[in-house]
Amino acid sequence: MNISRRTLGLGATALSLPGLVQAQPATIKFGFTAALTGPFNEFGEGINRGAQIAVEECNKAGGINGRMVALAEVLDDQLVPDRAVQNLRRILDNREIVGLMCPSGSGPTLAIADMIQADGRPIINPQAQTPTIVYPNGLDKPPRPNLFSVSISNTVESEKLAAALAQYSRVGIVHESTGYGVTGAELVRQELVKRKPGMRVSVESYNQRAQDMTAQLVRVQRANAEAMLVIGLGADFAVIRRNMSRLNMNLALFGAAGAVTMPYIEGAGDLVAGTRAVNHAAFGRRPMHAAAAKFVDLYRAKFGTDRWYGQDAANPLISLAATVGSGYDCINLLIDAIRRAGSTNAAEIVRALDQTRDFAGATIEKISFTPQNHVALKLEDLGTYEMLKRGDRVVLELRD
Amino acid sequence: MMDDFFFSLLLAGISVGAVYALIALGLNLTFWTTKTMNFGQGSLMMLCAMLTVFLSSQGLAMALAVIGSLLVVAAFGVFIERWTVRPALQASGGSMGWVVSTLGFGIFLQGVAAKYFGSQAVAFPDVVFTAQDFVTVFGQYVSLQYLVVLAVAVALILALELFVRKTVWGQAVHAVSLDPELALVQGIPVRLLVLGSFMLSSALAGVAGVLIAQIGGTVDPAFGFDLVLLGFVAAVLGGMGSSMGALAGGLLVGILSKLVGGYVSTAAEHGIAFALLMLALALRPQGLFGRPEVSKA
Repeated sequence: MNISRRTLGLGATALSLPGLVQAQPATIKFGFTAALTGPFNEFGEGINRGAQIAVEECNKAGGINGRMVALAEVLDDQLVPDRAVQNLRRILDNREIVGLMCPSGSGPTLAIADMIQADGRPIINPQAQTPTIVYPNGLDKPPRPNLFSVSISNTVESEKLAAALAQYSRVGIVHESTGYGVTGAELVRQELVKRKPGMRVSVESYNQRAQDMTAQLVRVQRANAEAMLVIGLGADFAVIRRNMSRLNMNLALFGAAGAVTMPYIEGAGDLVAGTRAVNHAAFGRRPMHAAAAKFVDLYRAKFGTDRWYGQDAANPLISLAATVGSGYDCINLLIDAIRRAGSTNAAEIVRALDQTRDFAGATIEKISFTPQNHVALKLEDLGTYEMLKRGDRVVLELRD
Repeated sequence: MMDDFFFSLLLAGISVGAVYALIALGLNLTFWTTKTMNFGQGSLMMLCAMLTVFLSSQGLAMALAVIGSLLVVAAFGVFIERWTVRPALQASGGSMGWVVSTLGFGIFLQGVAAKYFGSQAVAFPDVVFTAQDFVTVFGQYVSLQYLVVLAVAVALILALELFVRKTVWGQAVHAVSLDPELALVQGIPVRLLVLGSFMLSSALAGVAGVLIAQIGGTVDPAFGFDLVLLGFVAAVLGGMGSSMGALAGGLLVGILSKLVGGYVSTAAEHGIAFALLMLALALRPQGLFGRPEVSKA
């Protein structure tokens, strides 16, 4: 090997310079636990993809003040609360993690909420809808100091759903028996009765993954409901829709945001036509606002027109916002707060998040938080869609 | 005229009950020959439905896709007997190790299915009729999908009952169930019958999987696990080892759970099956069609 003295000399000089010895500044690390596998991984894998896109985008732009960002701890809980707790313990034991994202559902998120509050590091909720996640002592009390949310909150969603259902006099609500379903159903019922005092609302529950819903549906039928709302996930909604067809039930059908996803469209086939649903308005508007359009382009470039995006390159599925876009927004909000705080100290990031004003999100056009308000979604961020069959494709058209 | 509400519940109860009966019958088959049950039946249901989706998506005609899937699942029956049940029986001298090993194999199959087919629910195609097809009976809409489930389940159960009662092979199965060692001495091919029972049991699970998947419209790797519990309840209620008991037990669980769900509370629909199980074990442990076990001193 032929190494000249001059080369060795330059090397020695370089090593002796403190500025050069400190190679790259330490990476800024994020972590989360979510349903990456299992029957509900459309949500967990979705936010994982959104987070990956946000991290790549940030690093391509030079990182945060020259520091790269990374998803250092990404663990799978399959939407099982116990596993989410174990995973979060492991993530919190890693002191290098400076910001987190909540799991992909109300059950696991409720299970970890107290732990993360006690820890103090900032965490943002992409999908869990139960209001007590952010406001454990009631909506009129202060939120958890370090927990913020960009998800479709049950509170806001119920207002939007109630507005759409208020035209009927008798409504049936069929909901899954989880925290998400129970809270969602109760909030919609309260909102409906508040809007229209004489309204008759029948409420029925089912266990996730039930293969036959006849008992629930005939009870709704017996109550002479003119419209029915389903609060649950897509695969169960497909079972309900097919069951309705077998019972020759032809009432107006509404779905909550979690229900109108790909498993519903695939499982119920042509029967989905006419279903109305509440979801993020951003992806249904034309033209989309700039941040939504940028996110859609980034997703398509990285993952293509897949199951989350849908087959139509020009019109991504509306559910892409809630399943993937919300994960993208969570990580971008953390990045923005760290940049503004100029620090990775937990208290300073939380303070910066509290001061977030009109941040351009993909799913919510303008995201703002205050120390009293940690929920970004507002009524105008949601839209009511109708599912239509166009050729062999299902499209959701924004109605309101 | 029959009340619409009651009729809808009754029909759904009969239909899902028929599926529970098929699962119970599958559990009975292996119970006859080895006094064991395959608690991985749920995963075989899932596998058969998943394979049907896969094969039909590859352009195979639906009937061929179903038959191909049933053959694969039946072959798994041989594997289950050889690698999960037989070693457990030999190693532990009649203890309950096979419960864990068959359940474990089912969980393993779930993992394999998640790896190769993905863990999300996939659409299951309509096999014979769609959810919109129905006939009108006395002014009531009767879903053809429900009728197919009922007809297939009842036909299979009756065929099996006839096989056991009227054929030489059926008598041989009966002999093995009473005393396998004596049956072997008499020249009955016990090994063949045991393997056959596991293959047929697995195929029945496959049929149940296809029938119930077309009702729900989707299938995912965790599909079938809860159904096996209800099939087990049906088998115990009807009397372990009895085909007619499996049918009666399945229909009883299906109809009662739907009626309780409809008239009392939908939240109680699932729990009623297990309440029935506890009641049966307390009052009539041999089940509706079973005979009390007598052991000679």
